[in-house]
Amino acid sequence: MKRKLLAARLDLADKISEISSRKGTLYDYVNDILEQAIRAEEIGLSLKTVLDDRWTVKAMKDAGFILVPEKLLYDLAEVAYKRVGREKTTMLWYETGQWYGHYYGDLRKFEAAIKNCFWDVSEFKILEEKETAVLTCLSSKFSATYTELFSKFLEGALNALGLSLSQCEVSKGIINLKFVKPLDK
Amino acid sequence: MSGKSSRNQKLIRAPSDLVSKLSQEAACQGKTLYSYVTEIFEQATRAYEMKRSLKEILDTFEILDVPKEAGTIYTPRDVLDYLIQKTYGENGEELQRMWYHAGKWYGTYLKEKFEQPFDSFLRLLREGRWDLNEVAVNKSNGRIVLKCVSALTPQERSLLLQNFIEGAAHSLGYKTQEKNCFKGIICLTLFKHELRQPEEDSV
Repeated sequence: MKRKLLAARLDLADKISEISSRKGTLYDYVNDILEQAIRAEEIGLSLKTVLDDRWTVKAMKDAGFILVPEKLLYDLAEVAYKRVGREKTTMLWYETGQWYGHYYGDLRKFEAAIKNCFWDVSEFKILEEKETAVLTCLSSKFSATYTELFSKFLEGALNALGLSLSQCEVSKGIINLKFVKPLDK
Repeated sequence: MSGKSSRNQKLIRAPSDLVSKLSQEAACQGKTLYSYVTEIFEQATRAYEMKRSLKEILDTFEILDVPKEAGTIYTPRDVLDYLIQKTYGENGEELQRMWYHAGKWYGTYLKEKFEQPFDSFLRLLREGRWDLNEVAVNKSNGRIVLKCVSALTPQERSLLLQNFIEGAAHSLGYKTQEKNCFKGIICLTLFKHELRQPEEDSV
């Protein structure tokens, strides 16, 4: 087979060479990489798009999220809410939210994670102003109970990120939360 | 390394036909071959960091949107386990039935979407979002032994997931010969049943 020389960035070429030494020859490894790049382009995608999506899956797994059929989750939440009671159930969601607030440690990262993984949420945004942050979350799929629980999850996360709830408006499928930022010392 | 170029570059040998294709693609995208190859190698090293080959990642790409389209959502694992724990005692059988039927719906969806729906289902189980560390399949004499392992999964969620998997398998034309489930280890022996008899597809 005819061969050509490809110029590659030094650090990447070294890295590829290092990886290939664990898998076989450099030539075969580069061949495989280039074939996959062409395959991706042939289905109308860039490798970056494909890897970004795959990365999201890994990030969600690392963050302790798990897939569940949505109807089953909403039903479970409904039953548990009635059986265990409002206080305990909302506290669970609030504390879980706190954990995720600490986990992401940054308002924009948290916002991005919600947008990426909660695809039952049709609109999600956090608008920051000088002293406040306003969170809006809309979902046509949420029940009234699930909306309340999810609002506590969001409240917990933003509290963990240093914001204090000042106003809240929660009704079936609609969450509007206003937070006050801590005063600069 | 194949050769040396300027201080910040190295030359690597590659098949001529692939280099030609890449040159064309780079030109179509208005990029130089060098910057295009840089992007490709960056993604290859990223895949390696994810402990996957590019081929594996591309192989699973077609199933990435399935969870979204098939009505599944992410939820914090602890929340799900708490909800199950608080409801399973009194509603265990009903929950199992619900998960079984959710699985059947899922399988039916896969059947409509993919030419090899059972293989797609296995890839979905393997790709990480169902919290399974291992999905092993052993096919012999028309039987499929499916073993799913998930460390530290409570018994209740394991049982529900087993029902979900069984539901999906049944709607894809398999029947259960044997099943076992113990805290995160699900073992199902399935066999192909061409003519499905819906009345037998019960939990």
